[in-house]
Amino acid sequence: MITGTSIFFLIAGALTGLVIPAAAAGARDLGLGMRWWKWLLAGAWYLLLLFFVFMDFTIIGEGEPAAGMKMLLFQGVILIILGVGLVRVLRAGRKRKSS
Amino acid sequence: MPKEESTPKKGVSRRDFLKIGGTVAAAAQVGAAAGAGLSAGRDPSTLTGWQHLGDNTQFVDRRPLEIDGLPYEIVGETRRPAEVESVFGRGGLIMRGMMSEMRSRRPPGPEAGGEKSRPEPEKPPEAVGDIPPEAAPSYGPPRMKMPAPDRFGPALTEYYRKFPDIYELDKVRMESILPRKRQDTAKYGDYYTLIDAWSACWSTGVPITEPPEISDFKTGGGMGGGRRIREPVPFKSPAHASRLIKKVAHHFGAAMVGIAKMNPDWCYDHNLRGSGDRGFWEVPKHWKYVIAFGVPHQWEQVNSNPNCGSSFDAYSRATIAAQRLENFIKELGYPARRHSPMDGYDLIAVPFLVAAGLGQQGRHGIVITPEAGSNFRAAFVTTSLPMEIDKPIDFGVNEFCRDCRICAEICPSRSISFEDNNEKMTTRGYRHWEINQTSCFNYWMQSMGGLGCRLCLIACPYSRKNNWVHAMAREIDTRDPTGLANDGFTWMQKTFFKWPKAEEYLPPPDGRFATFREPPEWLKTGNYLDIPFLDPTKGE
Repeated sequence: MITGTSIFFLIAGALTGLVIPAAAAGARDLGLGMRWWKWLLAGAWYLLLLFFVFMDFTIIGEGEPAAGMKMLLFQGVILIILGVGLVRVLRAGRKRKSS
Repeated sequence: MPKEESTPKKGVSRRDFLKIGGTVAAAAQVGAAAGAGLSAGRDPSTLTGWQHLGDNTQFVDRRPLEIDGLPYEIVGETRRPAEVESVFGRGGLIMRGMMSEMRSRRPPGPEAGGEKSRPEPEKPPEAVGDIPPEAAPSYGPPRMKMPAPDRFGPALTEYYRKFPDIYELDKVRMESILPRKRQDTAKYGDYYTLIDAWSACWSTGVPITEPPEISDFKTGGGMGGGRRIREPVPFKSPAHASRLIKKVAHHFGAAMVGIAKMNPDWCYDHNLRGSGDRGFWEVPKHWKYVIAFGVPHQWEQVNSNPNCGSSFDAYSRATIAAQRLENFIKELGYPARRHSPMDGYDLIAVPFLVAAGLGQQGRHGIVITPEAGSNFRAAFVTTSLPMEIDKPIDFGVNEFCRDCRICAEICPSRSISFEDNNEKMTTRGYRHWEINQTSCFNYWMQSMGGLGCRLCLIACPYSRKNNWVHAMAREIDTRDPTGLANDGFTWMQKTFFKWPKAEEYLPPPDGRFATFREPPEWLKTGNYLDIPFLDPTKGE
């Protein structure tokens, strides 16, 4: 399986080179007024998303599909809640700037 | 107004292209994480060591986990295990008692003036192929009557007087469980054809036929075997000997190896192999060290315990590793004797595994190792080769078992305690977790497939594939002094992972011969064999 090879992880890592400048451009266009701690929070949320997906599909891959899907659902809810909170925090700067 | 400002731009700007590309890349990364996760979960190299040989299979550094002294508290006079205390030892005594009872009740034969009571024995078949299927080995005669408790030899009679509940359990097994097992086998046996074949094919035993003072000083079988061992070859130091023995043991097939000093308390006091004597024996003076090792089960089949798993794959591998290690030590001039599942033991496994630092004893009475959890089978070699010994380890099993209780909840025979701790449990002077071995054995005799149960072994949360998820959980749990990780992982195990309830593993109609997980496709009879069968798991 290609997903178990080193070249796969090289490509997956290289995609980060696209995600970061795109996120920076998007944040600027939305006027989010990004500071270092906002980047840290956003990055942590994104890493958590990747971590949960990686973990849950590992559980599915080891032959526990029901457990993996339940965990995906449970962690998906956590990610949505955290995501809503993150968006509010990110947008808070924009409101202050516009006022 | 300038023309450029009034005309909207066509197509996608470079900035928008960057944003769209980044969004696609982020989605691809999430997909890649899913694919990599699937790959990590399926990776056969995470099967905890059975499939490749080398000292990398014992991957947990035990030095930070070492403790001084044994983890067992001695709470009384210690002694060696007697024959009547083991279900296997007692089984032999019961059969002898029953045969004796049958002989005493038989009407006198013609030589004594009575009528002829037995038919002429049938002529034995000329070839194995002539044996009709009905004559295949079974689980004892269809109807048996257990003699009264005082009708056995003095040791067993005394034992039953002290433990009448164990007599009742033995009686239930002999009079009710075994006959019913015959019926279940006749009805559902074909469904288990492949797992029966898988289980039976691992036969590797080479019986020990001479006492230790002879057999331990003879080189192994094969070419040039059977001669007296040479003069001992000196090692540079006990540490060198220990290092070499562990290295070769790994290459011989042992996933985990440790070394302990001999403790006579943990040697049986009866039936020394090769002695031809069922009675008491002294532990030989040349049994100074015990090399303890473990070999994991094939994961897919052990995960479908109790009715579609087998003990015999790991039994066989552990036995072969023990035979090789015994031969290796003898070739270097030191006496050695193997103790293994297929060749038999003169010692009890659990305390030596604990003393050798391979793991800790869990609520289910067996040892939990950091690498394979309880998914392994043990073998030993006793020898006089001076080696550096290992220390017992503590990686939090006691605390984990106190809270977890999954093994107790899933046990079909309710043989595992639900107690908060093991303070009331004492075996021959040592305090440790203990189970009701007799009711456990009674369930073995009810299960189908490769004989035995092994549910507690596989349901233990420590018995998991060695992928990054479980390795991370293990690393965090063993280093968390607060117990929060322990609570969290136990909650996750019970919340997200489901398995059949205890009673579902029982024979129909009480249960449905359930399995912990679906058997692998290569052990499903219907996938390969063209035979009719009833599937008890579907209520047939």
